[in-house]
Amino acid sequence: MNRSWYAPRRLLSYLLVAGIAVTALFPLAWMAISGFKGQDEVLRSPFQFFPDVWRIDNYRLILADPAFVRAMVITFVGAVIFTVASLVVNSMAAYAFARLDFAGKRLWWLVCITPMFVPAMAILLTSFVVVSKLGMLDTLAVLIIPGVAASAQMFFLRQFYLNMPAAVEEAALIDGATRWQIFLQIFVPQSLGPFVVVGIASFLGYWNSYVWPVLVVSNPDLTQIMQYLATFRSARGNEWGMLMAGSTLAALPTILLVLIFQRYIVNGVRLAGLK
Amino acid sequence: MIDTPAQPTAQAGAATDPGRTSRRRRRRPTKITEQVPRHLRAHLTAYLMITPMVVLLGIFVIWPLVYAFYLSFFEMSFYKDAEFVGFDFYKYVLTDPEFYESLLVGLKLALMVVPTILVLALLLASFLATLSKRMAAFMKTTVYVPAVVSSVVAAIIFVFIYQDEGFANWFIGLFGQGPLAWLNTASTALPAVAVPAIWLGFGVSTLIMLAGILDIPESYFESARLDGANFWQRTRYITIPSLRNVILFLLVSGLTLTIQEFQLPLVMTNGGPVNATNTPNLYIFNSFRDATPYATSYSLTAALLLFLVIGTISLVIFRVVSSEKSSDA
Repeated sequence: MNRSWYAPRRLLSYLLVAGIAVTALFPLAWMAISGFKGQDEVLRSPFQFFPDVWRIDNYRLILADPAFVRAMVITFVGAVIFTVASLVVNSMAAYAFARLDFAGKRLWWLVCITPMFVPAMAILLTSFVVVSKLGMLDTLAVLIIPGVAASAQMFFLRQFYLNMPAAVEEAALIDGATRWQIFLQIFVPQSLGPFVVVGIASFLGYWNSYVWPVLVVSNPDLTQIMQYLATFRSARGNEWGMLMAGSTLAALPTILLVLIFQRYIVNGVRLAGLK
Repeated sequence: MIDTPAQPTAQAGAATDPGRTSRRRRRRPTKITEQVPRHLRAHLTAYLMITPMVVLLGIFVIWPLVYAFYLSFFEMSFYKDAEFVGFDFYKYVLTDPEFYESLLVGLKLALMVVPTILVLALLLASFLATLSKRMAAFMKTTVYVPAVVSSVVAAIIFVFIYQDEGFANWFIGLFGQGPLAWLNTASTALPAVAVPAIWLGFGVSTLIMLAGILDIPESYFESARLDGANFWQRTRYITIPSLRNVILFLLVSGLTLTIQEFQLPLVMTNGGPVNATNTPNLYIFNSFRDATPYATSYSLTAALLLFLVIGTISLVIFRVVSSEKSSDA
């Protein structure tokens, strides 16, 4: 398509690229820039894009709030544990459903795949009842464990495992390898791409969650970052500079994650088979 | 050697039907001569591998779901034992104008968000397909970045943008309009909530659409160009028909997801003004928090009814998408 391009057309396409990028990223840029504005200029008439003086006060102030830093750290720790646990649980089940044959497989498959169609809202209240009966309220466990098993991710990994060639596996079986060895030494090392895709989805799901933490956690030591931001907004809603600085810092880890793993994510859309 | 899986082709073909593969495999003659029956070991391994998944889903999804259905037949009370009331709560929900009102709000939101995303994604993907590799990689990442931002952060950013002296009023001021109280006016509040929903959602749709466009044989476009077809004609007669299934998938999954949206209105407006942004799930969620036993049973039942409709729709999409995949393989 781009074989016979001449200069004006090319220039137009560069302009379009720049325009789209600026528009798509504008809300994020606006948030970060507003974080650099003083309290009296963050919302001011006449409107102005950039601060008179770029000041880092808002960023410094929010980072000096121990509750903010604690929320960032505890959410990050939780997200990492959550991601690793999800990968372990979902990939094991995915391997078993893709590569092993066992009695009642169809029934267990139904059990594992049905949750994909259950919206969170339908079970929100009863999940709350279950975790409170289990005495899990106000623990790190209640934030992590209920979401670890994820049908959609298991399904995605299983699709990947279904398409792995059988030859290596057969050879390993002849050599006397167990299924566990095959899974850990052949399948897992080859799963980097899909693991990154579902791992990022898990991390984002945990980092960005708001409603579940609000329901199950009231201990300030366990406050999650989105909870912190929403509370800040309702309690100190007119301190926009600080709120924007905090939101920027809270969005940063997820954006960095995308930038680091961009190659995998873009390919992930193809991996998902959603063509 | 024998309990190895069937050929990869058979596997891929059976992607949606695990039962089929297993039956086929079981019929094969077993030549295992080892003392410990390998198939028994494989059973044990398989059960060990699926146990964590089954147990976790059982406790945290299946049981709460069953329990929710059970509770929906009872009227709970702080003062006496729960009383069996049959389908009463279903009747209450289905005759409650507020529930329908919230459904209408969800539907309106979906009608603002989904078609906009589809058109935007189609245009962007068509454009991205013409770019050089490096440019395309840059753009793919750029459009994906908003998709990873949390609803809470997006809601906060847009509340800031909609402030009296915020960006939105400055922007419409350039055209001699406004200023508007975006989130406090019944007619503008829902569109104002739709904008961040579009911003959060367009990236993934664009990437999916792009993957679809890249699968269309380049020769179709070449010959169309030779025949002098312009961009709109190529889009109308080649891209859209070739992407029919992708568009259908994005349309239906977009509608079901958007009707369920509630975090944006929760943070931005909490359903107001005068319920203009009270989506079904927000209505249900706020009834949960209203701690009276009646409200609890009521909202539980409403959530289940919504689940029945939306779950059925997603099951149908899932079936359609999977069956296409296996016929492709």
